[in-house]
This record gives sequence, structure tokens and C-alpha cells, in this order.
Amino acid sequence: MTSVPHRAEPNRSVPAIELRRVAKSFGTVQVCRDVDLAIRQGEFVTLLGPSGCGKTTTLNMVAGLEDCTDGDILLAGRRVNELSPVERDVAMVFQNYALYPHMTVAENIGFTLRMRRVPRAEIEARVAAIAASLELSHVLGRLPAQLSGGQQQRVAIGRALVREPRIFLFDEPFSNLDAALRVKMRAEVKQLHQRLGVTSLFVTHDQEEAMSISDRIAVMNRGRVEQFGTPEEIYARPATRYVASFIGSPQIELMSGVVEVRDGRPTVPLGSARLTLPEEAGVRPGQRVEVGVRPEHVRLGGESLSATVRLVQPVGPATHVVLDWDGGSLTTTLPGFSRLRPGETVTAGIDPRDVLVFDQETGLRL
Amino acid sequence: MSYALYRHGGPGLRLATYAGLALFVVWSAAPVVWLVLSSLLQQKALIARPPDLSPQNLTLDNFIIVVGSAAALGRGILNSLVVALFSTAVALALGAPAAYALARLSVPRADAIAFLVLATQMLPSIAIAIPLFLVISRLGLIDNVLTLGVVYLSFNLPIVIWILRGFFLGIPAGLEKAAAIDGAGVLRTFWHIVLPISIPPLGAAAVFAFVEAWNEFFFALILTRQSAQTVPLVIAAFAGQYQTVFGQMMAAALISVVPVIVLAIVFRDWIVRGFADGMMKG
Amino acid sequence: MASTATFEQRRRYAGLFLVAPAILVLVAILGYPIVESLMLALHKVQLSAGAIQRSFIGLGNFERLLADETFRRAALNTLYFSVAEVVLVVVLSFAIALLLNHPLGRPGLFRILLVVPWAIAPVANAVLWKWILNANYGVLNGLLQALGVIDTYQVWLGTPASALNFLLLVDVWKSVPFVALLLLAGLQRVPSILYRAAYMDGASRFQAFRHVTLPSMRGAIAIAVVLQTIWSLRVFDLVFVLTRGGPADATVLMNFLAYRVTFNFLDIGYGAAIANVIFILTLLLAILYIRLVRPAEGAAR
Repeated sequence: MTSVPHRAEPNRSVPAIELRRVAKSFGTVQVCRDVDLAIRQGEFVTLLGPSGCGKTTTLNMVAGLEDCTDGDILLAGRRVNELSPVERDVAMVFQNYALYPHMTVAENIGFTLRMRRVPRAEIEARVAAIAASLELSHVLGRLPAQLSGGQQQRVAIGRALVREPRIFLFDEPFSNLDAALRVKMRAEVKQLHQRLGVTSLFVTHDQEEAMSISDRIAVMNRGRVEQFGTPEEIYARPATRYVASFIGSPQIELMSGVVEVRDGRPTVPLGSARLTLPEEAGVRPGQRVEVGVRPEHVRLGGESLSATVRLVQPVGPATHVVLDWDGGSLTTTLPGFSRLRPGETVTAGIDPRDVLVFDQETGLRL
Repeated sequence: MSYALYRHGGPGLRLATYAGLALFVVWSAAPVVWLVLSSLLQQKALIARPPDLSPQNLTLDNFIIVVGSAAALGRGILNSLVVALFSTAVALALGAPAAYALARLSVPRADAIAFLVLATQMLPSIAIAIPLFLVISRLGLIDNVLTLGVVYLSFNLPIVIWILRGFFLGIPAGLEKAAAIDGAGVLRTFWHIVLPISIPPLGAAAVFAFVEAWNEFFFALILTRQSAQTVPLVIAAFAGQYQTVFGQMMAAALISVVPVIVLAIVFRDWIVRGFADGMMKG
Repeated sequence: MASTATFEQRRRYAGLFLVAPAILVLVAILGYPIVESLMLALHKVQLSAGAIQRSFIGLGNFERLLADETFRRAALNTLYFSVAEVVLVVVLSFAIALLLNHPLGRPGLFRILLVVPWAIAPVANAVLWKWILNANYGVLNGLLQALGVIDTYQVWLGTPASALNFLLLVDVWKSVPFVALLLLAGLQRVPSILYRAAYMDGASRFQAFRHVTLPSMRGAIAIAVVLQTIWSLRVFDLVFVLTRGGPADATVLMNFLAYRVTFNFLDIGYGAAIANVIFILTLLLAILYIRLVRPAEGAAR
């Protein structure tokens, strides 16, 4: 292996990262099963899901930090199941950064080159270049404990960048930052990706983070990929009830009912109200379904239902209002600050095209 | 009652605490103070009833005589130093990698091995002393400093493994993963990452092993005759031989304990963290 | 880098490679003696003209134990010594740990006072106390007479009951600091938020101690009890220097008896049998210790 990773002109048609029916189990506990993913060259993909869904395990398997018990992992078309992390030529940014506490910033960034026996002078030059590009030049002699959270983050990225790897992996790198810094770091990583175009796989449990940063998102649940698509597809056309409820804040409102046909259109009665379903749902009368309505699709003043205001929660740019009626409750998002008061009676309308319909049993969208 | 007052107590509790602390100081310090005082007093002052503590009886003669006359003490200190340094160094060299493997590397049945190792440290010396003595005499290795150093591994190795394992268990997994991604294998990760961040527990383990070896008496008693005698044996013999020359006895005892007391005081925080925590955590 | 081992495989191999030397050394030093010690206990071993002759007598040595008056004495002494020491050490240590956990007890001097008795060699400690307890010139006699507690100097180590109790005192003095450190570490692990909650709930200080401190310390105290029992069974140096088992075998503990029978009376098989009794007792206690530590470990993770 050469000391400097040699980057061949990437073949655009071959996926940079491909997982084929990958599974991982610890004893009898199955953490991942049948994970299929094909990530294109230069793409930024996020594995999104709650803790314990198998996303970090999947990332570790791509990195070579954990063995998969079944299936194949291919990097640029080459099967790498049996290769150690260093042979896979991937770089990784860790949760809490995992900076070496006893090494200076320069030593942290240069460690990987030292392990590859790069000559000292070259290490210094490359570290200096990376540090300059990340505005870390003035802290090269400091220890990680003497850095701000943002600087630590940039050191962790610098440590990954200095290798000029083919693939970047991110394991919840922002999860312990405060909210403001998290948003700032997110933007930095996205800009970095736009500048360098290195294929990136990012793990997070924060759906907003995933939406804002990714080209495509793989939503994981209980060790499986529930849906793999662009943020827009995931949001507007969730494949399953689970995906619909995981994405979006405030959460989508899900209500179960039985399909009835009224005036030639499929509807679901919910108390005194009646929700009209989109034609293309293809439901049949008597079918048990769950309908989902996102808060921004509930318009005040419509005639779908009449409800009482229970809760008014202003968040600045918008106000979330919770409405109760005899068939359940719904949240609506209104722009700016609302004058509504708890106890007021309002009417609300929902466009049938905005209603998401899921099969009660399978959870699949119809 | 404010929370601060609640936590720290009112005047009554403060008074009781002061009294308790005073008692504790007297209880802990008095014997040591008397050890130091006796070693500095002339024989005639010591055998007065009650002992005559007037300053004109203070003298360094006891130390001068002990250091000048008892060649055994000098040799004992040298032997103890060799035995303790040897067994501490070997215990660290073998124990640190073993502790790392048991704590972090997926060694099959690592927990069971770790507990067995700990159990050996609890073995009463007498249980293995007899066959050990028989084997070592058959091999003609009785009265040999290195023999003693090797035998001391039987308790120092478990101590080192136990203290370090407790610490290694707490190292964030991210550091090792980062090192692996950076291209370091297991051994280089251990050497470049794990050991440098483990200096305090390594120090605690070293001090602990050194003190245990320096103070050990039983194995030294049965496995040495003369030339390999360690300090505790010299002191015990001294106390038997010159048991009426109290000042000199105390001077010799003091000389023998000063090195480890200094170590213990200097590294007290490491010892407390390293050992007390290790024993509790398992 | 031709090897095709994965990260996990490499860690497993490296683990075995790193753990093996230490385990081999331990087995080499301890394996044979432990087995041989069990074997010796089943033999009558005689030393004649420097040669060892052994004849198998099964459990004969152990049967002898049952009828041996000295062994019974030693067992009772050990029982009294260990129980009394554990109770005294744990109670005193807990009190000291509470004192040092109080803000007034934080100064470093107190911790220095804890590590000093721990670091003093048991032999040096015994020699020191031999002098303190000296019948003719001991400072204890001088002090107690000056205070009017005693009229004449006492031979503290000369009468059976007092000799064993003074042995106990000396060992308690030496053992307390370390157990106190152990319990102090336990006290410092009690989350302070619990005390804040108890305060908010209107618990008195005593109730907070009763319902927060004590339950949180139950595991630490149990561990201290078991460890101190094991350490009490090991006491040897003190007996050897202070009393040699006397007067009238009043201070013969099992450990010392095993030594005396083996190395003074050269009754090696019988000595091994006594040693094995101690070994088995310790082993049981070690298993108990492990049981106690493990749940704590599970909770910590």
C-alpha cells in the first residue's frame, strides 16, 4: 500500500458504497437485517433512525470496525468484508470526536499519516495545509481540552480530511453540541461536501439534521431500511407509517378508521367529522386504515371539521395549535403568532391530496 | 434551613465533626509520631517512667549507630529495592497488556479470567508456600533475590491487572475506533493511545505493587536465609536481637518504612482513584 | 498488509496474544503449588536425612484436625479475631469515611493520614507496637498511668485474653485506613442530586442518611466486609513478631499454625491440610466478593 492514498478516476456508474443484504447479529439478537443500499459517487447519504435501530452498527460495518454476519459490503465495486478499516481507505468523524486527549491538534491530525509512515516533513506540510483550510493554524500546539466545541469539531474533520480518503463516515458527530453550534456545524459540513464532493455516509437520530444535510436519507427501524430516498420523497411520500411519524416536527397526526364511500369518494369517518381520502390511495370500503395529516396541511376555516382549541404553542416563526374534536385531535401550524385562545371553537379543512393513507396491518402507505 | 446548612449541618454537627476529626488525627498519627520521637530519643529518656521528652534528650545517635553498624539493614534495603523494582516492572510489563486485553479486546470468557486472576490475589500465602518452598529448595534457588521477585508476581500481577482493567474499561470506545480508522493496529493503538492516557492508573498500579513487594514478609521468611533477606526480615530480626535498644529499633523501623510512606503520600490521589475505585467497580 | 483478518478478528487474536504471557506466568507460579498443596494434604510427609518421604493417607490429615486441640484453639482464635476485626474495621472506617466526606474533612492532610498506616510494613508496624506495648517502658503504660487509668505497668501481651485483643487493636489500626478509602470512594459516588431531592422532600439529615446514604452504600459496605474478612484470615506478620502465638497459644491464628506445623514441626502434610482449610475458606469468600461486585458492575454499565 502506498503512503498517500491513490485516487483513481472514479467510475461514476459503480456505487461508491454498496450494501447487499447485510446482516449483523450478536448471539441471538439481530441488530441489522437485509440492509440493501447503493450510494453513488459523491453522494451525501444519511442513516436516520432512533437509537438501537442499527444505524451505527451499519456505519461501523462499512468502516470495518464491526464484521457483518451476513451479506456483502462493496466499496467502489470491490468486496471489502474481510478488510480492516485501514485497508478500506475510509475516514470517520466520531461522536464526541474521539480526539486523542494527550496529543496536540497537530499530532491529532497527523497521527494517521504517522501510522502510514509518511515522512515527517510531509506530515507537517499536509497538517499545516489542512489546518489553514479549517482555520486551526493558531491552535495547532494546543491539546483538545483547550479547544472550543467548534474547534474540536474542526480538528476531527481535519483528522479525516488529511488522508484524502475516498469515503467520509460521520457517527452522530453533532449529538453533544448545543443547538446553535449544531446548526452551524451542520452548515460547515454541508459546505465542505459541496466543495470536495467526497462520498459521505452520515448517521444521526435527528430528522431535521438529516433533512437539511443529505442528498438522500435511509430511514432505519429495527435493523431494517424502511425507506431510502431524497428528503422530499421521505417527507412527502413516506413509504410506511413509521417513516411518516419519524419525519416532521411537530409529528404527523395518525388516526385509524374504516373506509366508507360517500358521493363516490373514499372517506374515513372520525367522530362527527369525515376525512376525504385521495383517489389514488386505492382503498376499498370496509378496509381498516390509518390516515396521517401533517400540521401544515390543516387549514383553519375549512369545513372538514369543527374543533376546540386545546393548546397554543408559539415557537417564533410559527405557532402550533392543538385542536380537539369528538373524533380525536390534530395539530395545525399557523404562521407567526396566533391570537387563538384555549377553549375557542374553530373550523378546519384538509385537502384530500394532503392526506396520507396507511394500511392498518402492514403499515405501508397506500 | 438553607441547603448549604442542610448539607453541612448546624453548629452541633460541626462540633461533632471537629471532635471526630481530632480523634481520627490522634488515632492515626499518634503511633507514627511515637515511632519518629522514639527514634530521636536517647535510651535513658526512653526507659524513664514516664518517658522523658525534654528536648535535650533528642539525638541522631540511633540513626548513626543503626546505619553504621547494621550492615544487614543496608543489604536488606538493597535487596528489597531489587525485589520490589523487579517484580513491579515485570508485573507492569505483563499486566498492562493483559489488563487491556481483558477489558477491551474480545478475549473469550474475559470476565471469568479476570475474576480468576483476582481470586489468585486473595489466596492466602500459606496455601502455596509449602510446595513453593519444596520446589524452590529442590532447584537450589532458596535465598535468591530474583526468586523472591518472581514469587511476588503471584500477587503483584493480579493487583496490576485488576487496577488497570478497571481503568481500561472506562476508556471511550471512540478512541480505539478512531485509531483503527487512522491506521493503527491493536498493538500500536495500545502503545500510542491507551498507554499515554493511562499514566495515573499505571502510576497507582506501580506504587501499589512496589509497596506490597517492599512490605512482604511471609515468602521472604521462608524463601531466604541470609544474603537475599529483605528489609522486613532484617527489622524483625533486629527487633528480636536488640529488643531492649528501643531507639535503635525504632530508627531501623523508620528507615525501612520511609521510602514507601513517601511514595504513598506523593501518589496518594492515584492510589485512591486507582485501587479503591477498581475494587468497587469490578 | 496481506493479512485478511477483519478488525474484530484482529482484536481477538491480539487479545489472546496480550493476555497469554501474564496468564502463563500466573499458572507457572501458582498452578503447580496449588495442586501440590492439595496433594500434600492427602499425604503423610516425613523429612529424614534431607529427603522427603510421602505416603498417601487420604483424608487422614483432615481427620487429625478434628481431634487436634491446638487446631480447635486456633480456629476459635481466628473466628474471634476475624469477626471482631471486621466489625471494628468496618464501623470505624465508615465513621472515618463520613468524617472525611464532610466539607470539614476535605483537607489533604486527612488523606495523608489515611495512606501512612496503609504503607507501613506489617512487620515495622508490629515492631512499633511491640515497643508501644512494652511491659516495662511502653508508652501506653506510661500514658495510662499518667492518666490514672492503671496503677502499675501492665504486661499487655503477657496474658492470653489481652494479648489477642491487643493483636486485634494493632491490626485494626493498620487495616482501617484502606477500608476507609474504599468506603470514601463509595460515598463520593452517591449522586449529590439525591441529597438535593431529599432536602426538597423535607427529609431530615438523619432521614437523608438513613434513606439515601445507607442504601447507596450497601454494596460498598458488603464488599468491604468480605475483603476485610479475607485480609483478616491472612494475618501472619503481626503474630510472628509480637507474640509468636503465645502466651499459651492464645494468639495462634490458623495461618500461623499452618506455618508453625510446617516449618517448625516439619509436619508438612498436616501443615498443608491446615493451609487448605484457609484456602477453601478464602475461596468461598472470594466467590462471595465476586457475586457482590458483579451486580454493581452491571448497574454501572
